[in-house]
Amino acid sequence: MKKILSFLTVFLMLFLTCPVSVWAAGESSGESGVPIWLCIPFAGLLLCIAVMPLVKGEWWEAHQPLVVALWIIVLVIPFAVLYGVGDTVETVLECTVNDYLTFIILLFGLFCVSGNITMEGDFAGSPRINVGLLAIGTLLSSCIGTTGASMLMVRPVIKMNSWRKRKSHIMIFFIFMVSNMGGCLTPIGDPPLLMGFMRGVPFFWSIHLFPVLLFNMVILLFIFYHLDKRNYRKDIAEGRKPDISKPGTEFRIDGLHNIIFLVMIVAAVILSGVLPGMPAFQDAAGNVRGIHIFGEVSLSFPSLIEIVLILLAAFLSFKTTSSEIRTRNHFTWGAIQEVAVLFIGIFITMQPALMLLKAVGPNLGLTEPFQMFWATGALSSFLDNTPTYLVFLTTAGTLGFTSGISTTLGTLPEKMLSAISCGAVFMGANTYIGNAPNFMVKSISDENGVNMPSFFGYMLWSVSILIPVFIIDMLVFFL
Amino acid sequence: MQENREKYTELANRIYDLDGEVYECVGSNLGRTFTGGRERTVRTLSMLMYTKPDGHLLRSELALISNMARTIKNKEEKSRLMEKYNQILKEIEELPDVFGKEDIVDAERVALNNLVLKREKISENDHLVICISRTQGSAGNDIGFELADDLKINYYDVEIFDQVMKRLEAEKGEVSDKENFTDFNKYGKKSPESLKTKLREFNRYHGLPKQDAVFFNMSDLICSLARTEDCIIMGRCADAILRNNHIPHVSLFISAPFGVRVQHIMAVRNMGLRQAARFLKKMDRQHRRYYEFYTGEKWGKPENYDLCINSANYGIKETIDVIKRLLKQ
Repeated sequence: MKKILSFLTVFLMLFLTCPVSVWAAGESSGESGVPIWLCIPFAGLLLCIAVMPLVKGEWWEAHQPLVVALWIIVLVIPFAVLYGVGDTVETVLECTVNDYLTFIILLFGLFCVSGNITMEGDFAGSPRINVGLLAIGTLLSSCIGTTGASMLMVRPVIKMNSWRKRKSHIMIFFIFMVSNMGGCLTPIGDPPLLMGFMRGVPFFWSIHLFPVLLFNMVILLFIFYHLDKRNYRKDIAEGRKPDISKPGTEFRIDGLHNIIFLVMIVAAVILSGVLPGMPAFQDAAGNVRGIHIFGEVSLSFPSLIEIVLILLAAFLSFKTTSSEIRTRNHFTWGAIQEVAVLFIGIFITMQPALMLLKAVGPNLGLTEPFQMFWATGALSSFLDNTPTYLVFLTTAGTLGFTSGISTTLGTLPEKMLSAISCGAVFMGANTYIGNAPNFMVKSISDENGVNMPSFFGYMLWSVSILIPVFIIDMLVFFL
Repeated sequence: MQENREKYTELANRIYDLDGEVYECVGSNLGRTFTGGRERTVRTLSMLMYTKPDGHLLRSELALISNMARTIKNKEEKSRLMEKYNQILKEIEELPDVFGKEDIVDAERVALNNLVLKREKISENDHLVICISRTQGSAGNDIGFELADDLKINYYDVEIFDQVMKRLEAEKGEVSDKENFTDFNKYGKKSPESLKTKLREFNRYHGLPKQDAVFFNMSDLICSLARTEDCIIMGRCADAILRNNHIPHVSLFISAPFGVRVQHIMAVRNMGLRQAARFLKKMDRQHRRYYEFYTGEKWGKPENYDLCINSANYGIKETIDVIKRLLKQ
């Protein structure tokens, strides 16, 4: 932990002394007139993710890649007819190379490294222990990212609660808090905030969201504690009990040296945000240098450095950690494989929806913070929250505010920026696909004896618990 | 009927074994799917098979095993276990026909049978275990003690449990403090504890609240006693603990009208009327909360006991006679 803190301090200093890149997010808003029916493949894929595990579970598990490929083809063919083959290839490559590749490599790296850290101990999962774990995980998310914290904490939480029968609610609140909300305090926490930082939002500005996070933590942990206590009592009433035959508690962390690789990955993410602004990585026209792939698609050097660093961290982590730790951790490729397959489909098929959003977003007439909060949040629940955040940040930047936070996209009142940031970060928890760690946590839980709810089952939880909390957030912070 | 029940039990045992095998092959230490012990798991699974309306619950429980089995790295082992899994699944799918044709024709009977299944039959080989719950002032302790004396079996009440638990804790070693392990103070006023004490307790009780850890240890002790000797256990939610662990026992609830209990307390404890009434209300409240917290059942609810007696109607001697007559039958 000390290493992480000192590392972060060094980088914070670096950020403060570096010039921030200047480029607008709205350049590509010329793609107006995107037919709405082009969003059907995206909706179809989401429907498959939601319904297929319920109606034909085993078939779905075996044929996921085929179904995803099918929906991609269903999108690509009419897209090619409408916009031409060149533009289609460019669009697909653009989102695959520049969005998906870095996204999945980051996930892969964190998945590998955290899988090599195991916690040996006989703490028994009880409401107060679980509240503590969720609180620690939530705060950790802002230090090592929501994905990093989720991957690091998910196994200990599952293990401590393995004696219990009713535990799916613990993983649901884990997704709410650790995999999403906790990431709101720093640009490292969640990608949208990193994008904001790249567009001139001060690094430490996100700390202003602490009261909102604290407010939500108090409400959610209060609800969780009582819900967990009820379920804990039911478990006890059924005669379940943890093994506490030993008089003291043993606690040991194996593979702790992997924290170095975790820090390496966090550094890679930060570098990907900082390097594009450095003159050494820009050409004469101010564009970020990179490897040209097709048309206007190129893999930028900062992204390449990020990928190499993350893969190197994962490789070194595997090389330096005994496979026995992974076995004890029940480390399998299943979860990352599932996320990799589903999200390539999601990333490609959501392009028309994003294009539509870019075209329509600024004309939606959203001028109030609460409107931005809900609009950013609602779309972030289903779409990638990073472009959604950028669209609404750009929109807010063009509203002509004169006081507030100065960004490269314009000046935004603090309340407006808070609303957009909170909407993008918090509401990723609304669905399994709202944020990448959500699905990872679900998959890992599924593999380890936790009966996680279906897509719609999860949404019932989020609608009944999160939405009321967000309404309170709106009333308290964004009106 | 009997044949089907045996089939359910046999399938449930196979599911439990399969879960164990899968967990062992995976090599994980994050916990297996069924962590409640063989006996309880087999009971639960049999019930799920028996109560067809909850068939989806059984399927989702089984799916958890297959989720884990699919992650086994050794292909041969994986295929062997998946084959076992599929075989079990197939046999379960065949169950409803057998179930529908031979056993159940009336839905109400199903409900009744469910209740019957939950109840343990006491056989000749089982120990005689009597769990007595009682209200304060109903002379329950006196009845329990004299009954144990008459039947020549052991008697365990809270003080004896205290002593046994302390001894067991001391035998485990590494316990430096001399505090009363079974001091249950969940609902009373808590004396302030230093951070050091809190941390020590946190470590000692595996992060659990002290009262819960005490309850878990006492559950083990009660089960162990009930399996090894004839005895009478006073309070401590023993009836619920033994029911959950499928240990045959007889459960009694002894009470008396509030006024009579107040008189009794006034005489025994040398208290005034108001003080005795207040004391009784407080004790009833604590008993109820303790019982409901750990069992999820209503304390004193007649359905939870084999026999409820108003001791004011019979007196100590005659109450014991009534209980003995019940036991003989």
